[in-house]
Amino acid sequence: MNRGVFRFISVGSTVSWIVLFVVIPYLFVVLFSTVSYEGLISGVIDLSLDGFREICSSVFLEVCISSFSLALGATVLTLLVAYPYAYILTRLPEAVKRVMLLLMIIPFWTSSLVRTYALIILLKANGIVNSVLLYAGLIDEPLSMLYTQWSVFAGLVYTLLPFMVLPIYSSLQKLDWRLVEAARDLGATPFSVFARVVLPLTMPGLIAGSTMVFLPALGLFYIPDLLGGARSMLIGNYIKNQFLVAGNWSAGSAASVVLTLLMCLCIYGYFLSARKARTESMGGMP
Amino acid sequence: MMKRLAFLVALVLLPAALFGAARQVYVFNWTEYIDPDVLKQFEAETGIKVRYATYESNEAMFAKLKLVKKGGYDVAFPSTYYVERMRKHGLVTRLDKSKLPNLRHLNPTLMDKAYDPGNAYSVPYMWGSSAIGVNRKAVDPKTITSWNDLWNPRYKGKVLLMDDVREVFAMALRSMGYSGNTTDPVQIRLAYEKLLKLKPSVKVFNSDSPAQPFLNKEVIIGQIWGGAVYQANQESPDLVLVYPKEGAIFWVDNMVIPSSARDVDAAHLFIDFMCRPDVAKKNCEFIGYATANLTAQNMLSPKTKNHKAVYPGDETVKKGEFQADVGDAIRIYEKYWEMLKTR
Repeated sequence: MNRGVFRFISVGSTVSWIVLFVVIPYLFVVLFSTVSYEGLISGVIDLSLDGFREICSSVFLEVCISSFSLALGATVLTLLVAYPYAYILTRLPEAVKRVMLLLMIIPFWTSSLVRTYALIILLKANGIVNSVLLYAGLIDEPLSMLYTQWSVFAGLVYTLLPFMVLPIYSSLQKLDWRLVEAARDLGATPFSVFARVVLPLTMPGLIAGSTMVFLPALGLFYIPDLLGGARSMLIGNYIKNQFLVAGNWSAGSAASVVLTLLMCLCIYGYFLSARKARTESMGGMP
Repeated sequence: MMKRLAFLVALVLLPAALFGAARQVYVFNWTEYIDPDVLKQFEAETGIKVRYATYESNEAMFAKLKLVKKGGYDVAFPSTYYVERMRKHGLVTRLDKSKLPNLRHLNPTLMDKAYDPGNAYSVPYMWGSSAIGVNRKAVDPKTITSWNDLWNPRYKGKVLLMDDVREVFAMALRSMGYSGNTTDPVQIRLAYEKLLKLKPSVKVFNSDSPAQPFLNKEVIIGQIWGGAVYQANQESPDLVLVYPKEGAIFWVDNMVIPSSARDVDAAHLFIDFMCRPDVAKKNCEFIGYATANLTAQNMLSPKTKNHKAVYPGDETVKKGEFQADVGDAIRIYEKYWEMLKTR
């Protein structure tokens, strides 16, 4: 009886929270994307697809392409950093492992905006990195690091790293190392041990991590703005400007509906590939 | 027993009765845009309680006032062309000048602008400019006279522009001799084509803290707020403000009475209080922007009131332009802005 009440309250409060603050506001967004803005401010619901028509433009396509390629680049780079880190982590003694995990998680108790400003202090022309290099005589002129494509990637990778490390780490933890030993005993080179045993077995973690990095990277626009100098426009900027500058709520809503649909597609792709990876890693090697 | 109950009830109702009787004025202002002591002083002098709320952008303030039909805020602080926009949407009340005797202290060069002729709806509070910022260690400020100097190939990769569609286009339009408030699609397109040539030179777009990239040695020339130069000069004297010969762009934040106000008389009392020179001086010393109150300005320390970045002088102001509402043309601006950003 008591457990029933507890379950009702805990599940009920979560569900009502989501309905109140996610579902209902989102329904408004969907509604705004299908009515004309002129009707909206005068209180008339006037069905129109002007918002969607407006975003059918080469500009919005370019905005989408640059957002997706940025998110993809950030995901690949995060993966390249996270995989070796997670791999080394699993090979460390228990006590050191705990410290290493903690070191990665502690910065995330600070706001990511504050950490982005910290990166600016490191990377700026008269910043810490340049000062050290100049002092050491390694360079004569300060390196231009801030407001480049690479500083944007550095910021994204830094912010999203734990989302990649943790799933990979957990699937590496579950890895049966006897399989690795067996592969070695049968004469596999280190590379083929990795490519044909370790990688397929940790694929579920890798896919989960990539999804958890890719989707937020798609929406994060303050990092490219602060570290990249706001020279390009991403989907996030586009939506914000439609609402706040152009006062075009229909186009802004339409753009965020399109973004949501694209994200749903990505999550669907994740489910498909995760299922495939799981069956493959269970089904054994040919 | 009965007596005790009655006493308890009275005790519960007393504060409500007391506070219910007190008059209140609901003020809606930008964050960190008033000296908190001023509010306490107003309460002590008038007995009217101040209910204070803040916002981060004109758009947010506009959206909120648009939603509230009755019993809203008594005083709000829209910038330049938002006064006009709010008037067009019927969101502001005409001022009763007979209740605002302190208006005589205000700076006449800031009154009667295109966004509110005769100041029928708004009273200037703080104001400032955006002009050309120059790092004098890298560029001789004497060689900079015009907005067109930003296009000089010498500064390639070292230019800062505001991350604000109206500011950037106003600059480009002024550089071609047009008004920064134009609604002519042809002029806006020409400005876009000219900006496209500037884009490769631009290192960063920043309007929140444009002085930072200068102090960080990332850029050497670009658009900047006068107030930002003044603040940066407390840290380093290298950043210099140049008013271009085509005229700088000016903004004014104003006090208005929204049409959803609860107590229009209290609102007038509050606005008049804010225009009192001693109060205006307190606010401007606390915030660091230029006060629209001429009497208060003359009471400031010579170092502040003679700082050209903050108080440019009447000639410069007359040559410059105040942003006005461009109505639906903002969509044309936004379209070209998107194209500029994606190129």
